[in-house]
Amino acid sequence: MKLLPLRLPTWFLLLLPAIIILLSVVLIPLVLSLYSSFTPYKLTRPETLYKWIGEYNYVKIAGDANFWWAFGRTVFLLTIALNLEMLLGLGIALLVNKVTWGQRWLRTIMMFPMMFSPILVGFQFKFIFNDNVGLVNNALQSLGITDQALPWLVDGKLAMFSIIFAEVWMSTSVFAILILAGLFAIPRDPLEAAKVDGCTPWQSFRHITLPFLMPFIYIALAIRSLDVARAYDIVKIMTNGGPARRTELLWTMIGRTGYVDAKMGLANAMGYASIILAVFFTVYFFRKLSASRSSLGFDN
Amino acid sequence: MKRTVLLATMAMCLPFGSAVAGDFDNVTLDAKLIGGQQYEALYARIAEWEADTGAKVNVISKKNHFELDKEFKSDIAAGSLGWCVGSNHSSFASQYPSLYTDMTPFLTEEFIGEYVDSNIAASMIGDKLVMLPRAQFDVSAMYYQKDLYENEDNQQRFKEKYGYDLMPPDTWEQVSDQAMFFADPPNFYGTQFAGKDEAIVGRFYELVISEGGQLFNEDWSPAFNSEAGVRALDWFVKMYESGAVPKGTTSYLWDELGAGFASGTVALNLDWPGWAGYFNDPESSKVAGNVGVVVQPQGSAGIRTGWSGHHGFSVTESCENKEAAASLVAFLTNEESQMLESSAGPLPTRKAVWTHVVEQAGTDAYRSEVLTAFQSAAEHAFPAPKTPYWIEATNVIYPELQAAILGDKTSAEALETASEAVDEIMLENGVY
Repeated sequence: MKLLPLRLPTWFLLLLPAIIILLSVVLIPLVLSLYSSFTPYKLTRPETLYKWIGEYNYVKIAGDANFWWAFGRTVFLLTIALNLEMLLGLGIALLVNKVTWGQRWLRTIMMFPMMFSPILVGFQFKFIFNDNVGLVNNALQSLGITDQALPWLVDGKLAMFSIIFAEVWMSTSVFAILILAGLFAIPRDPLEAAKVDGCTPWQSFRHITLPFLMPFIYIALAIRSLDVARAYDIVKIMTNGGPARRTELLWTMIGRTGYVDAKMGLANAMGYASIILAVFFTVYFFRKLSASRSSLGFDN
Repeated sequence: MKRTVLLATMAMCLPFGSAVAGDFDNVTLDAKLIGGQQYEALYARIAEWEADTGAKVNVISKKNHFELDKEFKSDIAAGSLGWCVGSNHSSFASQYPSLYTDMTPFLTEEFIGEYVDSNIAASMIGDKLVMLPRAQFDVSAMYYQKDLYENEDNQQRFKEKYGYDLMPPDTWEQVSDQAMFFADPPNFYGTQFAGKDEAIVGRFYELVISEGGQLFNEDWSPAFNSEAGVRALDWFVKMYESGAVPKGTTSYLWDELGAGFASGTVALNLDWPGWAGYFNDPESSKVAGNVGVVVQPQGSAGIRTGWSGHHGFSVTESCENKEAAASLVAFLTNEESQMLESSAGPLPTRKAVWTHVVEQAGTDAYRSEVLTAFQSAAEHAFPAPKTPYWIEATNVIYPELQAAILGDKTSAEALETASEAVDEIMLENGVY
């Protein structure tokens, strides 16, 4: 009698290592954290992982004004920081593109802020914006612009401004580099044809350069929106969400709930609720990306 | 032969209180200890214990207490409890009731009796002695700039304005008066306070007590939403609104406060004993030679503030060689170890070492003043509330305290919200 060996399709065998790796490093942690969001799991009481409490955590989040304020603040930070970074990055890329000598050096220098760890950037700006010994207040007082100690990291608006400033300082170059890559890829013919037809520089930029750059801008926006929606390090160091929750963002709140309060079940539920934000912005920017590629005549 | 040598070595150790020295050849203990330059001198002694006992200590983690706290919680969750000795703190200990073992079976009564009784009491969770205190006892006293009080013009103007002599403050009302009198923002401030996290809740807690209130009732329901609580919070609000404290104070923690007083821009500073040397060192402080220290002020109930805490070492319940681990902990907190640590400034937790440091300070006027003030301060000390939910509770209380201080809410509104949030924590955890 002949045993029938189990024959798996070749394509499946070839994909199996990738499937196993994906399952173990992505799917299992995701399922486990999703499961724990339906439990009162506390890090200090491991037995709570096995107690099912249904949608309790999600109901609690839905009615928690502090969570939704943090959600709103994260959307606000995302909107302002992304737009500023995009505009500044576009400006820098256009300027660097005009440079004919030493452009490589400029591109390298431009990338310096990206090389810093966000924690280091947080400490750097925490010191710069310190109300008592910080550089900004000392400069303002020495120049006679104010005789007050401006509470940069305490006042609600100023603290948000300081955080946005640090974010923009660190990440504008992401936009600049990607947009510069786009500028290098623009074909010369349409621009030269526009010049022959008597277009002004603004008209060339508005109707030729910008539409060509839009796919690059949307890719940068999609990447950075995921980054900013997860903003944690800089805010944690600069204000830790305070004072009085004035700069509390989703991930400073989730980090505190999960690790300081040890309420990992609730923190995971908050994490899943906040994924809505990342999914929304990613879908939005990818749709925009597809639309702009279609308008340029590229197939998706 | 080796055993004989070891016994002889152990006998030599006994006068220093190594009550449970034993033969621990081939034993390796993994330890997670608080890190920092100021603790290294003590850790250098571990080699002596290793030579005495034949055991080996493997320090697998060195972090500050907040980071260790997160690591311990992750370890409990993951069941990675293969290590034996951990740094502990009286303010954190109650969060992990099952992590550490009772050390009483490994120590003699006489040995435990050599520690200050209140420190031992603060090291217990229920009937379990979960840690042995090291010479890192913390209670705050009031530091002040002496010349401000010696200045005749100041004395005269102060008496005209407030109707009593300008002296280092003995009540929190006097702190208010003097802080507002000295303040000249943004160049000079009357006082300052830790403005976030557990630190501000600790300060609020001790002020509530000094006003005759309580943070929690006996059943652990919140009790701070009271007249005493409002009076305590109003003190912070008044200091902030009047400009007597720096505008950024709600983002300050201990390091910023220490640096602030050392910069010479703050008149009065309620702070920990660990700063005494730093404040009077000309290399690190602009107020060196001009620092006075008095016992912490009292509130309207006639009770002095005195939120205190101490560092210690614990042995895990899952440790395979608890006897060796307890021996190490006893060694690190014995008389010789505490003499070494307290010689650098921190306060001891053993009776004999207290006597020793006070005697040693005899000729040094500043050191004598500091020790006298902190010895009195220690008499009024009380530990953080011993509930596993203390840190969790502080995380919902402090944003509300900040909201009142910054004027977003009234003190009563802020305490009402904080009280409801603490009540919810206790209910969710089945405390009542």
